[in-house]
Amino acid sequence: MSPIVIAHVLPDLLNLYGDGGNVRILQQRLNWRGIPVKVKRIRYGDPFELDDVDLVFLGGGPDREQKLASEVLVEHKDKLERYIDSGAPLLAICGGYQILGKTWLLGDEEVPGLSILDVETKRPGTSADRLVDNVALQTKIADHPVVGYENHAGRTYIGEGLEPFGRVISKTGHGNNDTEQVLADGVMTDNVIGTYLHGVLLAKNPEVADHLLKQAMEHHAKRTGEAAVELSSLDDSYELAANEFMAKQII
Amino acid sequence: MLTWGLQHVAHRPGGNLPGKVAMKIDPQLVSELRDKIFGKSIVVVGTNGKTTVTNMLADCVVASGRSVLCNRTGANLKSGITSALLQAKPSDCGVIECDELWLHRVTPDLKPTYVLLLNLFRDQLDRCGEIDRIQESIADALKSSPDTTLVFNADDPLCAHVAELVDNRTISFGFDTQMNLAQNLVSDASICERCSHMLEYEYRQYAQLGNYHCTNCSFARPALDFIGTEVELKDDGVDISVASTLSDEWTGKISSELAGSYMAYNLLAVFSGAMMMDCTPADVQKAVSAFDPHNGRLQRLTIDNRDILLNLAKNPTGFNQNLRIVEKCETPCAVAFFINDQVVDGHDISWIWDIDFEEIASRDDVIVFAGGRRKNDLQVRLKYAGVDAKLIDQAPEVLQDQGVLAADEAFGKSIPFYAIANYSALPPVKQKLESLANKAVGNSDHTQSSNEGDAA
Repeated sequence: MSPIVIAHVLPDLLNLYGDGGNVRILQQRLNWRGIPVKVKRIRYGDPFELDDVDLVFLGGGPDREQKLASEVLVEHKDKLERYIDSGAPLLAICGGYQILGKTWLLGDEEVPGLSILDVETKRPGTSADRLVDNVALQTKIADHPVVGYENHAGRTYIGEGLEPFGRVISKTGHGNNDTEQVLADGVMTDNVIGTYLHGVLLAKNPEVADHLLKQAMEHHAKRTGEAAVELSSLDDSYELAANEFMAKQII
Repeated sequence: MLTWGLQHVAHRPGGNLPGKVAMKIDPQLVSELRDKIFGKSIVVVGTNGKTTVTNMLADCVVASGRSVLCNRTGANLKSGITSALLQAKPSDCGVIECDELWLHRVTPDLKPTYVLLLNLFRDQLDRCGEIDRIQESIADALKSSPDTTLVFNADDPLCAHVAELVDNRTISFGFDTQMNLAQNLVSDASICERCSHMLEYEYRQYAQLGNYHCTNCSFARPALDFIGTEVELKDDGVDISVASTLSDEWTGKISSELAGSYMAYNLLAVFSGAMMMDCTPADVQKAVSAFDPHNGRLQRLTIDNRDILLNLAKNPTGFNQNLRIVEKCETPCAVAFFINDQVVDGHDISWIWDIDFEEIASRDDVIVFAGGRRKNDLQVRLKYAGVDAKLIDQAPEVLQDQGVLAADEAFGKSIPFYAIANYSALPPVKQKLESLANKAVGNSDHTQSSNEGDAA
């Protein structure tokens, strides 16, 4: 079988909060199942090619790095769009999530995003505070609560008809913004997950990891014409113990 | 009278409490107490190595035959500084450790002769904000005290940028020789802070430290005033050779029994700071040779013939450097990591994914333990690195562990044990191990280290 290809987009610029760990987790969960996997790191200046990719990860970075990254992403917007339209999965966190929308925050400035999703990120209104806390979500793709950590200044609003990644069920944390009546985090379409959750996200939420991997396997079968392989189950007792510890603290 | 009262409330040295009280009562206290320092003063800031460098520098001043006023315990917020000053006798020199984000509140009153800037690594992001803010804060602090000279690590582009932001006199230190270390995956700065283009490195030591230049503008590592010309990293220590463009007499070789590549930078910083504080290279070697940390930073202990090395690590760079020490251990060993998520640590521990634990996965003779409040997260992180770690609540459990005892037997003697903890996790680990070490040895060798609890 040819390898499942995971693309880590701009890991040298969008590298905050250990989010690159998500790629390591996805890779290991395929390794453990004996499924061949290749991680393609598209660094600044590398050819930007997604046609041979089965899963894309996009993180966030410090302002200066994110500015440089956004120039690259704008230049290759058509390739990202083509990738998403093909139904292949993409996970975007924090800055990576914001930039997929129509507007996002670069430092204190609202700037145009890629407009791939009907999502807007604005400056905080009267409150200048960053939203920084542990947070737990109820999602459609995991039986366990999805736990993580948010740290962002921008307030994000998703368009009507779009679904959030999850509803906030913890005592702490806000998700997309601190103004809507029902607090929710992120956005989820058929094959795109955007979220503010660090932690790293997939470490304590193995169901989310396997949701993405399942889609990656399906895309790989479609892309290569090779037979689809089922994802076998793994022993996630360590992951779920870590999930439960945090869930107990904050829900 | 007030100062007298506070001094007598504060029976234990160095804690933050009396300082906090004092700051609330008299905001002028720092400048009043500054008068206790007759001669030069130096304030040590930076993400990693502050406490070690501060203590070594103070020892250098003592070795030169002068008295020193110093907050030796690593209680480095402004209130900690005040506590040290409250309790200290008037002294010839001041060597003060200070938190990066508190520097701007200290310099206007303290007006130190020097600020020594060691490095800026990603640390406790949710407490400090991002690196830019820390840099601006340090620059503001220096602007508020224009006669203060900045002594900075020129190998760190983030420190070099701070030097660019200020009009103060600056003195640089760095290594003109490559240490040839394996590179870690994640480094903080890759971008020129002047023009936002990528930096290129002639060589990198670790993290973002090295000899760099911008691919677009003229930003590059500044010319070095203190030059590390040679480095030898050994299992049991570090040797560096230093020269200076400022004086022919400021040259020499410094040998330390503390291991780790980051000790090379600490030693170079100590040498540079000590020369500015009018010490001699011989004073530095004397202080470094006699240096015996009792503060949980590279502290050595022995329990039942087992060598134990206790160290603080609070960010990926610190942990990666510690892993290098473990890797260099040529015998089977046990290693325990302790991670807490209290306010002083930062509630977010996602940075454990930036630690290259993969490096110890290739060793099948290393027994790994995970402790601290976030031990479950650590266990998961280690699992994905290919390491099956056992959960523990307290450090002494390692000493009773069946796997460790079996390894002792196979090895023929007690295998070494490395205990690596972040800020608030360190004091309980240190306390438990020290009490066992004292029982085992039956003397009071370690009882003078009375600074636990500062960070708890």
